[in-house]
Amino acid sequence: MMRNGAIGRAWLGVRLFTGFLLIFFALLPRFSSTYVVYLTIHILILSLFALGFNLLFGYTGLLSFGQAGFYAVGAYVCARILLVRPSLLLGVVGGMLAACLVSLVVGALSVRHTRIYFSMLTLAFGMIIFSLAWKWRDVTGGDDGLVGIPRAPLVLGPLAVDMTRLDHYYSFVFFLAVLAIWFMYRIVTSPFGLTLQAIRDSEVRASFTGIPVRAHRFWAFVIAGTYAGLAGSLLPPLENTVTPPVAHWTTSAEPVLATLLGGIHSFAGPIVGAFLLFVIKDLIVRVTIHWSIVLGITVIVLVMGFRGGVAGVLAGLFQRVVAVKVSRTPEPIPVGSEGEES
Amino acid sequence: MRRMRWTWAPLGGTVLLLLLFSQAFSAPPQCQLGVPAIKLGVQGVASGPHADYGRQIQMGATMAIEEINAKGGILGCRLEMRFMDDENRPATGVRNARLLVTEYGAHFLYGTDSSGVAMALGPVLKELNRIQFFTHAATHRLTEELVAQQGIKQIVRVSAPVYQDAIAAWVFKDNPAIRRWATIGADYEYGYAVWGLFRETLRKFRPDVEFVGAAWAPFLTTDFTPHISAVMAQNPDAIIATPWAGEAVTLLRQAVLMGVFDKIQVWFQAMGGSVDVLEGIAREVQDGRFKGKLWATARYIHNWPNTQTNRAFVERFQKRWSRLPNYSAETTYSAIYITKAAVEKARSLETDKVLAALRGMQIVTPAGLRVFREEDHQFVYTVPAGRVVWSERYNMPVLGDLRIFDPKDYWRWPPFTPIPMGK
Repeated sequence: MMRNGAIGRAWLGVRLFTGFLLIFFALLPRFSSTYVVYLTIHILILSLFALGFNLLFGYTGLLSFGQAGFYAVGAYVCARILLVRPSLLLGVVGGMLAACLVSLVVGALSVRHTRIYFSMLTLAFGMIIFSLAWKWRDVTGGDDGLVGIPRAPLVLGPLAVDMTRLDHYYSFVFFLAVLAIWFMYRIVTSPFGLTLQAIRDSEVRASFTGIPVRAHRFWAFVIAGTYAGLAGSLLPPLENTVTPPVAHWTTSAEPVLATLLGGIHSFAGPIVGAFLLFVIKDLIVRVTIHWSIVLGITVIVLVMGFRGGVAGVLAGLFQRVVAVKVSRTPEPIPVGSEGEES
Repeated sequence: MRRMRWTWAPLGGTVLLLLLFSQAFSAPPQCQLGVPAIKLGVQGVASGPHADYGRQIQMGATMAIEEINAKGGILGCRLEMRFMDDENRPATGVRNARLLVTEYGAHFLYGTDSSGVAMALGPVLKELNRIQFFTHAATHRLTEELVAQQGIKQIVRVSAPVYQDAIAAWVFKDNPAIRRWATIGADYEYGYAVWGLFRETLRKFRPDVEFVGAAWAPFLTTDFTPHISAVMAQNPDAIIATPWAGEAVTLLRQAVLMGVFDKIQVWFQAMGGSVDVLEGIAREVQDGRFKGKLWATARYIHNWPNTQTNRAFVERFQKRWSRLPNYSAETTYSAIYITKAAVEKARSLETDKVLAALRGMQIVTPAGLRVFREEDHQFVYTVPAGRVVWSERYNMPVLGDLRIFDPKDYWRWPPFTPIPMGK
């Protein structure tokens, strides 16, 4: 009971800290500058993008280099919808669903392979979408992209919330992000999520236990694509524009980097990584135009110094502290135990 | 002890007075705009294969700021600058603009090489309500669509847009021997717009010309041999090419190796008059490998116009940076002097007042007279086209045999109609 109490207190601490973070970020626009709000929206978008990616990479063991394709589909479809019909919810949902549909097709073709073959296939599909964004001028605007996308109001029945104010849009993105993070947490802790981890650890053993491995990979791929689409669809209303680089493989590298920085085996890893990536880069670019060298060195130091990612190391430390506390807590002596022994 | 103290007292007092006087005379004049300094946010591509263009933007801006500050600033206000790398990525350019305005407190923005970045910046400038002086990005949509149609008044362009590349039609229209034209084009809007404008302009004078082939090279192409072969298979008399910066150098060198200059009469390299391209092909020009058939233009060339203003600018630039200025350096340098003139006239840093001061502005810059066009916030000026020749004076290639045309002949004018895209 006492040991359970120590563990319970530790988890209560985690919940309180999470609650504090939620309140802090919910109230962020009230006490911070417009730029910080803008940057936090970007962090939230990358967090969603990287969370989806990590379902594939960290939980299923599939390294995709083509997630930017779905991100771009979400962004372009949302942009096209908003240019025709200015409804934020319609744009975001439309973008997300379009990415989901595309990931159904690409996933069906890609999950037949694993390891480097899977990675190369996803890279190829991603670059096909990039080429479409670049060449299909009538739809995508070519290299100049789509411009003048409105930050349309959020229409909920008779209620229409003005989104031209950045703090309003921040609240919308924050709400969606919290919802999506919660949903992802439910996925990875569900039997489906645990099965994905079993497949990651040993595909052969998983298949011998009767798990339909390919189907599980396929649905993980679709969920990851949908999350990428959701993240992408939040971008055009923020920037009022969408251009082909959002589909480029270098954009696919962003969730990879964020996840590696934060930790692939920690649920919060991609979120922590997205935060670190943006904040570190933002601090560096203020000081030097040779930011890429400094950022590269910083990332190397973080990846080598925090094996398992920053969130992974912090989670490990937390568990160790809890374990020490539990071990120091005296085990209650069962009543009458001496008599039984004698 | 007391005598000693009285001996030192007058001396100390004199030194103190001298110090006070010297401070009074050397103190910078009070800023009449009520700010500690006028802050300029500058961005351009400073990493990757086009980094030299961002570097030139930074050099041009730095030099203008140093000169203006040395003469007391603008209405007594010192200029400060922060330069940022936009990585040629629209998302980075937008983030930089927001940081420069909301965190750094920039009063004016400058630069931007890529048209994609420029187009992404347009709506953000409206939201931030800050003027950006664009000094390289060439897409016609920036001024025709975002300013003239959508009314984003915070956009002002100092550099020549894509229209200027149609100048080739004026240079070669009277040469009856050149009938078959082909293009090796940059595979994005810039390349299509140039080919479209060139064909449209040339057709007006020469109904007999044929446009026999087009090969499109994507961004960051390193092997142009398939494009050159495809175009040469059509036996063109002349080629107009739009890959720029390092890609232009690679393309021209590969064309030399493939013997293209033995078979054609003219090669027009759209932005080939830029310093980095001329430096890149210096050896081939010196060896006569282009056989005098290579022609080019740029948004500014350092050896024209032959005015005191330009000569002095080039001399100071060389002295300061040990390099010649390319067009992005000159346009950024001029943009800061345009700001100076506008702020001095407006006596304010407010966007609307500065824009009002820009109306009707005609200003002498190193590139010549620039005239503000109110409909699309475009500064109009002319740049010649010329043959690439070796210059002993500069010890590098320059544009010679210059052909100068009035901008009214080859620029587009409002009301704007869509450009017939070349692809």
